[in-house]
Formats: sequence, C-alpha cells, structure tokens
Amino acid sequence: MNTTAQSRRTFLAGAAAVGATALTSGCVASSSSGGKGSSGGAVTLQSNLSSPQAKSAMQEVIDAFNKRGGARGSLNTVASETFRTQLPTYLTSANPPDLYTWYPGSVAESYAKKNLLLDVSDIWEKPELAGYSDALKKLCTDSAGKKVFVPTTYYWWGVFYRKSNFAKWGVKEPSTWDEFLDLCDKLKSKGVAPIGLGAGGNTPWVASSWFDYLNIRINGAAYHRDLLAGKHRFDDPEVRKVFDRWSEALPYFDPNGTALPFQDATTALLQGRTGMMLIGTFFADAAPKDQLGDIDFFRFPVIDPKVPLAEEAPTDGYFASARTGRKDETKELLRYLATAEAQEIYLKGSSGTSLPTHPDAKDSGTPLVIKGRKLIESAADVTQFFNRDSSDALAPTADTALTRFLAKPKEIGSILTTWQRDAQKIWSQ
Amino acid sequence: MAVLTAPRKETREHTAGRPPARKRATRVPPVVLAFVLVPLLAEAFWVFWPALQGFYLSFTKWDGVSAPEFVGLANFREMFGDAVFRTAALDTVIWLLLFGGLSAALGLGAALLLQQERRGVGFYRAALFLPVVFSLVATALVWQAMYQPDGLINKTLEAVGLSGLTHAWLADQDTALYAVIVPALWRQIGYVMVLYLAGLKGIDPVLYEAAKMDGATRLQQFRHITLPQLSSVNAVVLSVIVIDSLRSFDVVWALTRGGPYHSSELLSTYMYSTAFQSLRLGYGSALAVVIFVLAFGVIASYLVRAFREADA
Repeated sequence: MNTTAQSRRTFLAGAAAVGATALTSGCVASSSSGGKGSSGGAVTLQSNLSSPQAKSAMQEVIDAFNKRGGARGSLNTVASETFRTQLPTYLTSANPPDLYTWYPGSVAESYAKKNLLLDVSDIWEKPELAGYSDALKKLCTDSAGKKVFVPTTYYWWGVFYRKSNFAKWGVKEPSTWDEFLDLCDKLKSKGVAPIGLGAGGNTPWVASSWFDYLNIRINGAAYHRDLLAGKHRFDDPEVRKVFDRWSEALPYFDPNGTALPFQDATTALLQGRTGMMLIGTFFADAAPKDQLGDIDFFRFPVIDPKVPLAEEAPTDGYFASARTGRKDETKELLRYLATAEAQEIYLKGSSGTSLPTHPDAKDSGTPLVIKGRKLIESAADVTQFFNRDSSDALAPTADTALTRFLAKPKEIGSILTTWQRDAQKIWSQ
Repeated sequence: MAVLTAPRKETREHTAGRPPARKRATRVPPVVLAFVLVPLLAEAFWVFWPALQGFYLSFTKWDGVSAPEFVGLANFREMFGDAVFRTAALDTVIWLLLFGGLSAALGLGAALLLQQERRGVGFYRAALFLPVVFSLVATALVWQAMYQPDGLINKTLEAVGLSGLTHAWLADQDTALYAVIVPALWRQIGYVMVLYLAGLKGIDPVLYEAAKMDGATRLQQFRHITLPQLSSVNAVVLSVIVIDSLRSFDVVWALTRGGPYHSSELLSTYMYSTAFQSLRLGYGSALAVVIFVLAFGVIASYLVRAFREADA
C-alpha cells in the first residue's frame, strides 16, 4: 500500500511536467486571461524566504512596488525544502510562476543550459543595474553570454566568536593556520571546546564550509570550482591535502559538532561552551538581538601565502522563467528589486546582517557589517558555497562524506573513493 | 452474481411469494453506479496511472528537467553494486524484525496486562494509546530533543551515575538506527495493544473456566486458549506491521534523514533522497518499484498461506 503512496509521490513531483501540469496551467491561464490576455495580471513571485522576518520584509518590498503603479506583483511564499524540490517542476510546467528567489552561478547555469530561464540581458543595461560590479555581472551571466539573474543581497562566511569571551580567555584573532592551531590549544586548556560546528540535525551541509575554505586556501578558488564542476576527482591528491590539514584541527572540534544543528551550535557559542564557529551571517537570526553587538569574526586563516585569498560570499537574488507570459512586467519587477530603495526596504525588515548588491544601497551600518563588507571587497576571488558552486544534487554526497570523515578520519581513503563514485553518478545525469 | 447464474426454478422456490430475484439484481440504480465509477476514475487518475508511470520511470534516467532517457534495466543492475542500497535493504529488514516483532510482543503484553477491568485501568490504556494520536513528525521532534547531547536521556544517565553511557545517540552510526526505532515503537505499541484488547474481549470466558476446572496453569491457558483464539487478530496485526514497517519514513526523515552516512537509511528514505535530493528520479523510481514488490510479496505470500490454512 505504502509503495503506491511512494510512487505517487515520485509521480507528483516528476510527472507534473508530463500530465498534471494541464491542471495548473488551466488555473494560471484563467487568472491571466482577464486583463491584457496572456501578458496581463500580477507577476507571481515564488519565494523560499519563509522565516517570519524575511517573509514580511519581502511583502513590504512587493507592497512598495505595487504602490508605484504600472505592473503589479504578488508574493507566494513556499517552505524552503518544498521550494527546492519543486523548482524543476515549476520551471518545466507549461504555465509557470514568473519569478523565483534563488542563486546565481552554477545552480542558475544548470537551468539556463536547458533554456528554462528568461534572458534578462537588456535590463542589465538599465540605470538600476548599470553600477553593479563586474564580479556580479560575471556571476549572473550564463555560459552562452546571456544574463539570467538579478542579484539583490549577499552575505559572508567567517570564523565568528564573542568579543567578551576572547577578552576573558586572553586570546586574540589569529591570521595564519599555525596561529589558529595555537589559539585552539589555548582554548582547550581552558576547558572550552575550541571549534563549534553545527552539522547535526537537519543542517549537515554546514560541514561543507570547512571543506570549501580549506580547499580555497590550499588549492585556490579556481581549482575548487573546477573540482565541484567535475573537472577534477575527489580522490585526487590535492583533495587529500585538504583532509590532512583538517585532521590537524579535528581534535579541537566540539565532540557534539555532528549532533547539533547550527542553531543549537550558535547557542553553545553564545554561552561560551565553544570558542568559535565557521558560519555565515544568517546564524545571527538565531541569536538574541542584545548579544549581536558582542559578536565579531575573523577571516579563515591563511594556510599557503602563495594562494590568493578568496572568501565565501553567497549571493541571493532572482531569476525568471523563460515561459512566463508576462515578460515585460516580470522585467519591470526585477528592475525594481535591483534598486537601492527595494534593497533597503528588505534589509530594514529582515535581520539586517546581509549586504545589498546595489552600490548606493545602505546596509545596516553596524561595525560587524562594515567589517564583513571590507572582507568581501578586499577578497581576490569570491566563491558561493558548495551547493551553489556545484549543484543541489551534489550537496548530499558532500554531507555524507564529510560527516563520515568527522567521525572516522582514518577512513579518509575509502571516504574519498566513495565520494567520487557518488559524485560521478550525479555528474553523469 | 450467484443469484443470476442459479437455475431459475430453484430461485423461484427460494423466493416464493416475492418478485423474481433476477429482475431486482439486474437493476443497478445509476447512483450506485456513480458511487463505484467516480471513485474508480479518481483512483485510476491519481493512483493507478501514476503507479504505472512510476514503473515506466524506473527504466529511465531522468533528472526531473530534461526528457527521461530509456535505459532498460540499468537502474536495477546498478542496485546490485550499490552499497547504500544494501545497507538500506538490511536496515529495512532489521526494522521489520525489531519494530515489527517488538511492537507485536509489547502490544500483546500491554493488552494482557490491561485487559482486566480494574480501577484506573482506563487511564493506563489511554496513556498507552496517547502517542498514536500525535503525528509521527511531532513525535520525532520531541524525541530529537530528548536525544540531544545535553537532552533528557543523557542528563538522566548522568544523574544516576551512568555518565559512561551518555552518547550522541542520533549522530553515531552504531546507535542511530536503534535510536530511531524507539519513537516509532513508542507510538505503535498503543495501536497494536488496542487491536489485541479487542481480540481478547472476543474470547469466550467459558473456555478459561473449563481450563481452570481441568487444572491448567496460567501459562497453559495462554498457550492453548489465548494464542489460538487470537489468530484472526494476528493476521490483522501482521498486515499492519508489515505495511507500517515498509512505509516508515517520516520518523526517520525527521530524526536523521537516513544518516549519519546512511547508517539509519531505510529503502523509503533512500528512495526519497535519491529522487528528490540527488534528482535521480529514474533510480528513485526503481527503488520505489523494489519497495512495492517487497510489500506486495510479503503480504501476498501471507494471504496465500492464510487461505490455505482456512481451507485445510
């Protein structure tokens, strides 16, 4: 009986593209057939920003857009996990939602290659996007040279700690790998677990940040991107070096690192049970507001001075469906989302730890955000994150390999062989 | 139908004084037809067709975006060399034996304990049945909090001087599967208990009185009266357990997602993660087909045996 349910689920996600789309297309078509034929009606923005703060901030942005007159938008928020698994179905349906929150780079490229994304090259020439940096322009361009993405915010990863705790323990920020290991030693001698992780529960992907950073510090960002694109093998000696370094830091990791989700690991950091944590600024959503002023971070330590310093700064924004019946209206909304005004509205409404992409948009201006902006602006290269530089499909293979390494570091040989085999299955899809 | 094929004369004799049965039986009111046909159409569209689609997809390579590519039996051949599939299949067998066996044994035990009408027994029955009311995902979240490194279970172990036993229960590959079975069992026992309670109520007390007169011990009464009398309930319990075991998904997904590194992977979680996380929908469908064949095989073979026993 159960299997019927399971295969039904398989069908629903997949075969919607084949048959069930007829139903949805009927609905969408009927809503758009009222005004100006297929090009009328409000632009549907399918959003995965479902946390209460982000959701209401998004609504404020859409409300502000609707007040201007002209095209109208309507927000449809979907739980993040559902959004991710349904995205291929949305994009391949005959009459899909018009606009989506998602990521640029490889993730967008995989859909662009299949002609599922709207070419928005023309709006990149408009004043709203003309001042965007070259790095962002490159990030939003697909391999055919078309712009397919409009970025609106980004955030940075760093090793976060509490200033008051570092002062209490009499330690300071390290800049090299050796200084970092010394710091870990000192913290351990004080009875603190030096490195918190948060790769337990439903957030095993946090472990990828350690892999990403060690790889871009040892082998460089270009090698990292190539590896994630399947141009190198996970059982190569270069990758082995990453784990050799990681092994040096392993004794300093919180033993509960793979048992706690990052939200709980954040609590352990704030309560001084762990000393520091490599994480993105989104962790601040789980921190009490009054403690935000006590939080600081340092750049992931330098391992090989010859390797240019790259940083992880995932960019968020929007792409549109190539099959939208409201091309002009969708582009109008995209142009609005790219303005300083829209980005400021969003940052004010949400937790405010991310950075706007528009050069004139003001961030929240806290010392932490100023330091974060400087970190990214001074970086020689910027990577996104494991799943964004590779694909959502490859990410689970990393979760398995890395949590296994954390538990059984001596089995690294077989772990890398298995990882390569699992990755090969995804790349050959 | 039997009425229709019976000799007319005989029918007349049986239904003397009433209108002929044939006429009544052939006249199926349109409403009744609609009640049969409409759900059948809905079922065909939403269940049978997708299931057939699933069978077709199991012979393809498909990422959910491009057109499916027919690959014949390649997905099934891949399963033979797939270590995760073997782990998932083995874990499913362990799950079936442990979860199934324990929930039947403990459910029967609880039913025997609580069958006597005594003061306060209703409270205990309700308490044992209560977990059935909660959704499995909610149950899993409560247990997740208990299993945390500084959660209730480890705190209790420390308090009673067993701190050597404290563990990251869900994050350790040696304990994850068993830690996940506990909440599933906790919920299932109450359900099985209610089935057995109903069965026990149906046993004629005269049998026990006769056994007592013959000097049978309690164990002998259980062995020779209770167990044979419960055989019809056993069939229901077995079907429920097999189906529930093979469809166990929510509790595992909510607690460990099959991890750490596939140690608590069941066929159902492996199917889901392959299809929807790795977007290998062809291979995922092949796994779904295997689950279907297993469930169908176990239940069909049981039914065949049960019918044979009934005929004997």
